[in-house]
Amino acid sequence: MKESAARSGNRQGTSGGDFKDCFRPEDYFTASKYFAPESLKEAVEILEGYGGDLKVLAGGTDLLVEYYERLYEVKGWLDLKNIPGLKEIKVFEDRIEIGPLVTHTELEKSENIKEYYPVLNRAAADVGSPQIRNRGTIGGNIITASPAGDLLAPLMAYDAEFKLVSTRGERIVPVGQFFTGPKRTIISSNEILSRIIIPLPGERTYGSWCKVGKRKALIISSITLALVVKFNKERVIKDIRACLGAVAPTPVEIKEVRKRARGKRIEDLNFSELGELVAERISPIDDIRGTAEYRRDVAREIMINALEEIAEKAAE
Amino acid sequence: MKITITVNGEKREVETTPSTRLLDLLRDDLHLTGTKEGCGKGECGACTVIMNGELVASCLVLSPQADGAEITTIEGLGTEEELDPIQEAYIEAGAVQCGFCIPGMVLASKKLLEENPQPDEGEIRRGLSGNICRCTGYQKIIDAVKLAAKKLAGTGKLAGAGKSRGKGGGR
Repeated sequence: MKESAARSGNRQGTSGGDFKDCFRPEDYFTASKYFAPESLKEAVEILEGYGGDLKVLAGGTDLLVEYYERLYEVKGWLDLKNIPGLKEIKVFEDRIEIGPLVTHTELEKSENIKEYYPVLNRAAADVGSPQIRNRGTIGGNIITASPAGDLLAPLMAYDAEFKLVSTRGERIVPVGQFFTGPKRTIISSNEILSRIIIPLPGERTYGSWCKVGKRKALIISSITLALVVKFNKERVIKDIRACLGAVAPTPVEIKEVRKRARGKRIEDLNFSELGELVAERISPIDDIRGTAEYRRDVAREIMINALEEIAEKAAE
Repeated sequence: MKITITVNGEKREVETTPSTRLLDLLRDDLHLTGTKEGCGKGECGACTVIMNGELVASCLVLSPQADGAEITTIEGLGTEEELDPIQEAYIEAGAVQCGFCIPGMVLASKKLLEENPQPDEGEIRRGLSGNICRCTGYQKIIDAVKLAAKKLAGTGKLAGAGKSRGKGGGR
C-alpha cells in the first residue's frame, strides 16, 4: 500500500502527487539518540560522555518548538522523565524543594505552593494553555531562561536557589546569579538542574502577580511583575522584592525599591514614586510585544497596583 | 527504536525514531488521522490528545517520551453510529464549521467536563483556551460544551467515567 512505498522511496525531490506522503521527520532532523536513564547519577554520566551533543529534555514545550524550527541541531535527547524524585514538591522546616519536572499544572494545583508562594502559583496558572501547562515544567522554564519566562520573576522574588549536579559534584546557585542573558545561564553543558530550593516565606508575607500580554492564553508576556513584601509584627516592611520579566535581557530585581522601602510602613510609602523608580530602572526593548516606552508606562502602573493590592491584603 | 503505547485501549508496538513526534506516529504510523496538525508549535490545539489522563499537544511530544503511555485520540470517542454525547452536542449546537479544530476541541471539552462537570462560561473558555478555531467565533462551541454538560448529567454518564478515568494515573 501507499505507506510502505512512501517509507522506502519518494522523499526529497519527489514529484507532486506523492508529496504529502514523503515527509518523514527522521529524514530532516538530526537527533538519533534517546536516553531515559533511571537515576540522576546515570544521567550526568551520559551527559558527560556526550559533552554538548545531547539536549536535556523535560516537558519539551520550548525545546521541541525550537528543534522543529531548526534553531539548533542535536545528536540526541537525555529525557529526565524516568528519574525518581524529580517530580516532587517537598516541604522542609525552613524551605520547599521543587523537582525540576514539576509541571505548571502541578504548581497551579499544589496546596503548598498556593499557601507559601501564591505569586509562583498564579504565574504558573498564567502560562500558555492547559496543554502547555500539563507538559511544561518549572525546570524547563528556568533552563530555557527566556527573559519573558513567566516563573522567573516570581522565583527571584522568593529568593530561590538552584541545585546543579554533574559527575564532579553539585553546586547551589542563587537565582540572582543564574541568568546571564536572553536564553543564557551559567549552567554548563555537563550539568543538570536537580532541585529548585525556596526558603519558606514566614508569616506576614504578601505577594502580588501581574502578567501583561496581548491575550490571556498562549501569549509570551510583554511584561511581568512579581512583588513580595515581608512585614514584621509592627507592620514595618522587613523585606520587599520587586522583580520583573520581559523588561531586560534577564529577569531583574529592582533593588532600589528595597533600599527605599525597607524599615517603613506600607502606608507611608509613595506608591507613584516607587512606580516611577521601577519604570526608570528597567531596560526594556522595542519588539513585537510592545515598545520600550509602553513597557515603562505599564511597569509604573502595575507596580502601583501591586503596592495597593499588598497594602489592602496587609490591612486585613 | 521500538516503543509500546496504548491507543484508545489497544496496546501497540511501534517502530519509531527520536525525532518523530507523537503526532506523526499517530497519523503516519497508526493512521489515526483524526488528530490534526495546525501550527506544529503547541499554540493551536488541533493536535490535542489525552495522554496519561492529561490534555497534551501531540506536536510537542517526542514519540519515545510517550513510551508506555495511554493515549486517547478522537477515534477513541464515539463512532458515526454511536456518537459520544460531546460529539452529539457539538453537532446539535452547530459548533462545527470547517471541522479542523474539532477533534482537539472535543478532547479538550472531554477533559474539562471530567474535571468539572458543570463549568461556567469562564471555566469553559479557560478549559478550551489552548484550542483555536478560525471559523465559529467560539460562541457555538461554548454552547456545545454547556449542552454536553447537560447531556452527561442527564445520562448519568460522566465523560470518560469507566472508560478513561482512572486509567491515566501513571504520571
